[in-house]
Amino acid sequence: MNRSELIIQIIALATLIIACVLVWILTTEVFHVEGDILSVPMDLDSESDLIDRLYRMIPLLCVAMLLSIAFAFYIEEWLSETTWYYRIINQHISILANIPSLIYGILVVCIFLFQVGKFSNFTLVLAIVFLVVPVTIQTTQSAIRGVDLSVREAAYALGANRWQVITDHVFPRAFPKITGGVFTVISRVLAIAVLLIIVCELRTSIIQDVGSYEISSNVFVLISLALLSCVLSSFLQK
Amino acid sequence: METNNHSIETKNLNLWYGDFQALMDVSVNIPAGKITALIGPSGCGKTTLLRCFNRVNERYGNVTTKGEIKILGKNIYDPDVSLLELRKTVGMVFQRPNPLPISVYENILFGLRIHSPFGSLTRNQADEIVEEALTSVFLWDDLKDKLKVRATSLQLEQQQKLCIARLLPLKPQIILMDEPCSALDAKGTLAVEELMGILAGKYTFLIVTHNMAQARRVSTECIYMFLGELIEHRETQALFETPDHPKTADYVQMRYG
Repeated sequence: MNRSELIIQIIALATLIIACVLVWILTTEVFHVEGDILSVPMDLDSESDLIDRLYRMIPLLCVAMLLSIAFAFYIEEWLSETTWYYRIINQHISILANIPSLIYGILVVCIFLFQVGKFSNFTLVLAIVFLVVPVTIQTTQSAIRGVDLSVREAAYALGANRWQVITDHVFPRAFPKITGGVFTVISRVLAIAVLLIIVCELRTSIIQDVGSYEISSNVFVLISLALLSCVLSSFLQK
Repeated sequence: METNNHSIETKNLNLWYGDFQALMDVSVNIPAGKITALIGPSGCGKTTLLRCFNRVNERYGNVTTKGEIKILGKNIYDPDVSLLELRKTVGMVFQRPNPLPISVYENILFGLRIHSPFGSLTRNQADEIVEEALTSVFLWDDLKDKLKVRATSLQLEQQQKLCIARLLPLKPQIILMDEPCSALDAKGTLAVEELMGILAGKYTFLIVTHNMAQARRVSTECIYMFLGELIEHRETQALFETPDHPKTADYVQMRYG
């Protein structure tokens, strides 16, 4: 790993942390204004409300995946691999995609369900975006890279432009792998949905009787360690 | 349109990959309608020079080019040059046969389809064009019953000939070949060389090769390059028998390489 690589990774990590803090502030401060559509608190007593909301996330899920696939094509086909923004974007994606889906689920539950106490649609939207976007982009990227260079060279040398190369050759060749990636993402999302439903049930049946619940600090330590190892693995696997 | 019967003329062509200078002041005139071979040790810029001529190099980013390249009298770095037209005029055959992973039939028509408005090609015309292109590379008899076969499943020799055949419907003036026979066996090599011999005259060929015997067999003029510089450009026979430059002599007489 050379120095410029390290600098890029550190910049990527820093911007990622700043982005997370901003998101935190936005979700806890801005979107919890009374009456905001995005922050209508959830009726935690009814499980059906949660499931209803989860169903409503399906269109969003589809849009997020399609946009991610489009974005992956943009980064792979339009951005040059040597530019710094390509490298930073790539680093972000690889850090985020490396984080196990369970961590997102636990974070969503801990932060928004217990600490903030309000479980808004916006939280769900955010969770889905974090869950879906990086992994979809990453699998699509690897599918695009998997298309043999000779195919591109042949098409370009015959005078095809970028769009023709993508629509006629790269996309059809990468399509099976892209669909594979989409199914991976669906499995991640379903797992989180299950986690949310279970926690919601537990909360309504057990925890509410106790009145309050303090999450052990050990959980946060473990989550931090998990995040740290994700970052390290994405740094070192380059 | 052609000036002094030269298909390609370069003047003081310099090229850098990042900080590394791959071509230094290359000035060369490639005669029209003949086969010119580019020889030299690995990494001397042969392929880079070849790739300049249809501007495929630009796709790799980080490439700086200075100097002038005139193809058929027109500077290809002029802003009004369309890459589409340039690549139609200057076809390229790669080291490894790279037919597109579609049928033989569609492979030959692909170039034409992207250069003509959608739906302007009738079924009959298409059939004729495919037959003509395959006939001129002597593949028609072998492949006329296999037109729907995926091109990547053919023998390597047939694949490479197909790669040449798919350039022909575009009516190129110049065909660039980057070690076209290095992936082929002796029989395939012979077949491709014969094909070049027959097509020369109609098209200008520029071929990069590591095989000096091949350069000697097929080319009429020969260019020797060393570390990004053009050392010698003469008729093939003269270059091999009485090289002017000591570096060329070292290389062609196998003292170096």
